[in-house]
Amino acid sequence: MSGTPLELVCPAGTPGALRAAVDAGADVVYLGFRDETNARNFPGLNFSRPELRDGLAYAHERGCRIYVAVNTFAAAGNPGPWHRAVDDAAELGADALILADIGLLDYARRRHPETRRHLSVQASASNPTAIAYYHEAFGVQRVVLPRVLTVTEIARLNVQIPVETEVFAFGGMCVMAEGRCTLSAYATGRSPNMNGVCSPASHVRYEQLGGRMVSRLGRFTINEFPDGEPAGYPTLCKGRFVAGGCAGYLFEEPTSLDASTVLPELMAAGVRALKIEGRQRGRAYIAEVVAAFRRAVDAAARGDPVPPLGLGGMTEGLRETTGAYTKTWR
Amino acid sequence: MVYRWPEVAGGVNHRADAPVTNEPNRGTPSLSPVLLAGFALRPLPLVLLQPALDLAMTLMRRRHSDVFERLDTLENASFLIDPVDLPFCFTLRLGPPAPRLSVVGNADDMESPSAVLRGPLLVLIRLLEGRMDGDAAFFSRDLAVEGDMEAVLTLRNAVDSGGIDLAEDLLSLFGPLNGPARRAFGAAEALFARAERDLETVRAAFVAPVDGRCDAQTARLRDLEDDLADLRTGMPRANAAGKRAARPGTARP
Amino acid sequence: MSPAAKLTLGPVLYNWPAEVKRDFYFRIADEAAIDVVYLGEVVCSKRSSFFEPYVPEVSERLARAGKEVVHSTLALIMNEREMETVRALAAAPDMRVEANDISGAALLAGRPHVIGPFVNVYNEGTLEVLVRGGADRVVLPCELPVGSLEVLGRAAGNAELEVQVFGRLPLALSARCYHARAHDLHKDGCRYVCEEDPDGMALETLEGDGFLAVNGTQTLSHTLCSLLRELEKLRDLGIGCFRLWPQSVDMVAVAGIFQGVLDGRDDLAEAEARLRELVDIAPFSNGFYHGREGADLVAAETFSPAG
Repeated sequence: MSGTPLELVCPAGTPGALRAAVDAGADVVYLGFRDETNARNFPGLNFSRPELRDGLAYAHERGCRIYVAVNTFAAAGNPGPWHRAVDDAAELGADALILADIGLLDYARRRHPETRRHLSVQASASNPTAIAYYHEAFGVQRVVLPRVLTVTEIARLNVQIPVETEVFAFGGMCVMAEGRCTLSAYATGRSPNMNGVCSPASHVRYEQLGGRMVSRLGRFTINEFPDGEPAGYPTLCKGRFVAGGCAGYLFEEPTSLDASTVLPELMAAGVRALKIEGRQRGRAYIAEVVAAFRRAVDAAARGDPVPPLGLGGMTEGLRETTGAYTKTWR
Repeated sequence: MVYRWPEVAGGVNHRADAPVTNEPNRGTPSLSPVLLAGFALRPLPLVLLQPALDLAMTLMRRRHSDVFERLDTLENASFLIDPVDLPFCFTLRLGPPAPRLSVVGNADDMESPSAVLRGPLLVLIRLLEGRMDGDAAFFSRDLAVEGDMEAVLTLRNAVDSGGIDLAEDLLSLFGPLNGPARRAFGAAEALFARAERDLETVRAAFVAPVDGRCDAQTARLRDLEDDLADLRTGMPRANAAGKRAARPGTARP
Repeated sequence: MSPAAKLTLGPVLYNWPAEVKRDFYFRIADEAAIDVVYLGEVVCSKRSSFFEPYVPEVSERLARAGKEVVHSTLALIMNEREMETVRALAAAPDMRVEANDISGAALLAGRPHVIGPFVNVYNEGTLEVLVRGGADRVVLPCELPVGSLEVLGRAAGNAELEVQVFGRLPLALSARCYHARAHDLHKDGCRYVCEEDPDGMALETLEGDGFLAVNGTQTLSHTLCSLLRELEKLRDLGIGCFRLWPQSVDMVAVAGIFQGVLDGRDDLAEAEARLRELVDIAPFSNGFYHGREGADLVAAETFSPAG
């Protein structure tokens, strides 16, 4: 079987990463401004307005598009930064806005009806009725699906909705429904939905205690690693906790999503675009992962078997999972 | 607030004999005795390195102002950068009037840095040039970090944002089109030339036939050899992405 | 003076045996100083069928006792079967429904309904859109700080705002069942092990500190939110409804304590002491309200309830 290649939507946290993604064969680069208006509000990361302008020029000259994520929830009483992010992205010529907040979707539809609106995964739209609502109320043309659905559920969904779907293919993985998780805020006071950070570095501490390394988030111990064991970020949901007297990775092991093995199934399920996670990752990650997925997407489009991507070294805990795409994950 | 990745059998073991402790410490690299010997036998006088480092920072600030703009939020952060296979460390202080890179004899010479970055020199260089992913280096234990994680992340993201290419940035000073600069920095030139010779020693240590190494490690050494070759010749890396694409496994053997 | 405050009882989030739940609601109907009661399974559709046979008699008894009955929808809707339960609620014209997913709000558009705390309402822009769609009460997300509540209180117009003032904080939802996972079971063959933990399964850090509570696919806080001391300020900000989440404690007594403070009858310090005595599941927290870690308890002396 062959078909139209899946659109490859790739992350960039810096102009260097943007160029790396474009050069490695991205169809689209997605990015955010350097503030709380996007869900990767990490220190030293993201784009100024001039950097976006330059990035747009670089990408458009090479036939690549830019989507701008304004995908946190605007603060009550201070919508200014979020409105400006939408205005500036639209006026600079972004090819689409990636939005989650209903108020902001409404604003974007009224002020910039001509700019494409995509529904961020942070909106957690996991069923046809929800997706139809966003389409009818705010003219959303694509939805990034939450990482809670199986391939079968995605296929069923695609025949019931009037919009394109984009799914995550590689990288860090939320095990909770995105945009509906305040675990990190509970431990740190900094909220993924409001501040655009999860398990922020400012609240991460590592301590070496005897023969083990302890990682903490705020005042809570998230994990400890005896010598000789590989480890990951102290992301709260990838931590090791004790339940019923047993210590273990109750939510999820430190692992990365890799959906490359189910690309043909995702194509057959009617998915339009593949998203690579990792705006916080380095240029080397971007170049390598994007190039590998370029090959994979092209192979899948030709109907060829998807070659092994060899991206093991880029994954957290050096492990990969197909995540929610297969039902056994649940 | 000290953290070091645990060593794992079968990995590239840079610090096999480093004791686990909650103080920053330097292990003796076991992989590259020749490499270390090359430096230990002919150490550069540290004080003579300072003008070269000042020059490097001036150059970096001119060529990569965007990198330094991203570091603005850090204000007074300081970093100890510890190449485990060199007999000295670098310190990076971001405070006013301008960021300053210095060299110290050992890690204890810097009082309470905000954070410590520790790894083999070539890993550090590849991170600086954005040719290696910081997270991947972290996952694979090639890089150890301690201290203020926000500062580390800011530095990592800032450095990664610019197209830093040490060979191009530094050695271009001595290219035929850079005559005036070359004369102005004549003193530094000699240092660079010497550094180049030292790096040649390093390269020789790495590419010398290594018996009994596994394939993955051989691939890694070949990769390091390429890096050094690039560094030596100051060859622009326009085709770097293409090279990586052709050999997808090499960034993480 | 703001209009009379309403004390509300959120849906039981945990998998209590159906008969236990029925008796719980009977007692609420007969004894509790509660104005609004939310019924329905919010967390896991696999549990929905157990309590359904009791819903008519429970709603009737509650209504007879003068309580407003609201039917809550699932929060995470992933398949047709789950969607159908929401559609059925929305199709019953005489039922008052709380939408915990935006799909519910879409189906209820044009008629009065409640927006539940699992729909993200963080700002006045979103609030306006939802009120325009027919929402006449909006239960706000648990992480909103007082500054946001103040702005939303001003922007709400005729819609009522509801804030959670008692119980474990609902922090996250997932497709994955952590109760099953903790028991080495698959979600499809979960044997309903979540029934063993009436307040959720305790999750401790490796160092033995209480951290979270697992309720099937939901993750809650270990601490119990209590905004008893903040009630007066919340009323001043225009918040009209105060939600108690059911826990396995004497909820009639808990409601009595909150009602006493709302009415201005009871001394605050005394009420707090009684609440602490009554609720020994876990420590209290109020950090989210104060713009801090949700797990924090901002001590009484560090803020003024009126300020």
